[in-house]
Amino acid sequence: MRPTTTAIALLTATSLALTACGREDSGGTEAQSEEISGGEATGTIEVWAMGTEGEVLQEFSADFEEANPDATVEVTAVPWESAHDKLAGAIASGETPDVSLIGTTWMGEFAEAGGLMPTPDNLVDESDFFPGAWDSTEVGGTSYGVPWYVETRVLYYRTDLADKAGWSEAPESWDDLKQFAQDMESKGGAEFGLNLQPGQTGSWQTMLPFAWSNGASLTNEEGTEYTIDSPETAEALDYYASFFEEGLSETRLLDLGELESGFAEGKYGSFISGPWHTGLVEEAGVTEEQYTVAPLPGPDGSPGSSFVGGGDLAVFNDSENADSAWKYVQWLSEPETQQGFYDEVGDLPAVQSAWESGELAEDPQLQVFGQQLESAQSPPAVPTWEQVAGAIDSIVEQSSKGGLASDEAVAEMQSKASSIGTGL
Amino acid sequence: MSTRTSPAPAPAPERGTPTRHVDPMRRQQAIAAWVLAVPFMALFLAFTAGPVLASLGMSFTDIRSTDIRNPFGVELVGLANYADLLTDPLFRKVTLNTTLYLVLGVPLTMAAALAVAVGLNRLTRLTGFFRVGFYLPVVTSIVAVSVVWKFLLRDNGGLVNTALGGLGIDGPGWLDSTTTALPSLVVMAVWRNFGTLMVIFLAALQTVPRELVEAAESDGAGGWGRFRHITLPILRPTLLFGAVITSIGYLQFFEEAYVMTKGGPLDSTRSVTFFTFDQWGYGNYGYASAAAYLLFLAIMVLTALQFRLLREKD
Repeated sequence: MRPTTTAIALLTATSLALTACGREDSGGTEAQSEEISGGEATGTIEVWAMGTEGEVLQEFSADFEEANPDATVEVTAVPWESAHDKLAGAIASGETPDVSLIGTTWMGEFAEAGGLMPTPDNLVDESDFFPGAWDSTEVGGTSYGVPWYVETRVLYYRTDLADKAGWSEAPESWDDLKQFAQDMESKGGAEFGLNLQPGQTGSWQTMLPFAWSNGASLTNEEGTEYTIDSPETAEALDYYASFFEEGLSETRLLDLGELESGFAEGKYGSFISGPWHTGLVEEAGVTEEQYTVAPLPGPDGSPGSSFVGGGDLAVFNDSENADSAWKYVQWLSEPETQQGFYDEVGDLPAVQSAWESGELAEDPQLQVFGQQLESAQSPPAVPTWEQVAGAIDSIVEQSSKGGLASDEAVAEMQSKASSIGTGL
Repeated sequence: MSTRTSPAPAPAPERGTPTRHVDPMRRQQAIAAWVLAVPFMALFLAFTAGPVLASLGMSFTDIRSTDIRNPFGVELVGLANYADLLTDPLFRKVTLNTTLYLVLGVPLTMAAALAVAVGLNRLTRLTGFFRVGFYLPVVTSIVAVSVVWKFLLRDNGGLVNTALGGLGIDGPGWLDSTTTALPSLVVMAVWRNFGTLMVIFLAALQTVPRELVEAAESDGAGGWGRFRHITLPILRPTLLFGAVITSIGYLQFFEEAYVMTKGGPLDSTRSVTFFTFDQWGYGNYGYASAAAYLLFLAIMVLTALQFRLLREKD
């Protein structure tokens, strides 16, 4: 056979094989798994974890092994960069570990692919967790894991510049925040009062909290349709974009490290970011007396919402030791274990009661994060979220740089999101 | 297709007849050839041809990342992915950007490479130094180069704007404006890529017969005339080769934009490959495969066109 003929034959064969079977829509909601058995965990529990968590988890699990002598925990550290593809490959081939740390924005994809096992009934109490964190585990109405650690975004500002600008307290409403940013420039001497991200990757994590604070919701109650096109979102985007129009935020994407060094120099009076930035700004030379964190303000003086991210723990459908795997997950989400893990690596606990004692209860900076977490929200856990987020990022960019009118912008977000769909 | 003329022995022997004589020596050689070729063939079929055909198949389906456990449980959508791409405003934008990379990048790279090669060909001293210097960017990691250039092109404190400032010119934020970002990337890519072509052109220049040049000189041809009527025609096949490989490179423009601008500002530096990469990341495997095949088609068409335009005229 000539090569072209072979190719055509192969194509036809593949096409026929493909037509033979269509997509079967699962429809409805998957039920939660049955309750796990009592007693101790047994056998080997294979665990994948990324980053610092992956490095320390093996040693940290010694307590669990002590309490469950018949069980062995085997932790494999996986780099974050390759984690998504490794998990996807494992799920495709059915060669999964028993438990893995899963980035909250991946839950939708892996659950919908059929890789994750629904959380057993009564494994944990939903109300123990921060509500936004719990939402990240729920895909199409079914929970597929347990939140492990969380992070959320708050307002960082230079207290010395704020004092100069006449602000002894953090801003408490949107009008306040705008005034605060203006004063940081005019009286505090900052070049940019409040630095926000002008679109591009991840800017939705800063922009959407303003919409959530304003009462907007990204999807309907059932999570089946997007409801981005609302006056609340438009108003929030308008407010967000005004910081760029008025020169309170820089309209270009900063290079790595530029924000921290600019904050240290007093070029940026304030910004919005997550807990890792406390370390970064202190490394850049900002002393603890020079800056502080504050919860994001709501539009009218009530507390504002924020973005909650972090990691969930999930057990795989292909796990051969699921019962014990869930027991391990249960152990990791006990308040004492969560506190212990905070002491070990500094991950903020997803369980609320872990914040009631120890350093987490006493440190005023940490308390700000704890307070913010109560109202923080997570994006819809749908498989297409990354793509919808990408579309939102690019429209936020058009609003902040190109001056796209906000009602048109949110209509555009809505139409992009609807055409992408939820993927459920 | 059947222009191949093999010197077949006159009456073709009938298949399977015992009268067919096979030289045992040749037979052994054939077996050895197959044995030696098998490892490569197996790897090639399993890891190159297989995935290539699979992705072609995927481009006709609505496969997504959530289908990985049941890859055959997808719907055949025919050419819908291709039709959607052609109406996708972002895909149109990235096609335009890629075209710009191509029409700006290829001529500039070739001109720079040819100019430097001609210059180096005349040089009698320090040739090694200059050759290494011009070729060095090619062997440097593209990511490292991009990071360094990103700093050179910074608005405040970038070397380029500092130098311009010394001349009294207030340089823009090269990578922050939708008009200058793409040309800036092209300039960087030209600087990085022309070394390869320079080496190839340099080799070709040394095949230009001295006698021809001298004869032309004694006939009174000036420097430009000799270059135009002797050097260029002799270089024609090399130029064709250069045009083809450079075009393929620019059509696949990706790393520079990924590191330096993340495709921005406002998608002004996003290329077709970048778009495909994004779609793959979003889990739209079918859509991404279709985009990749459109690019493949464009490369084939362009290459065919270049062969037609630059082929030797008898």
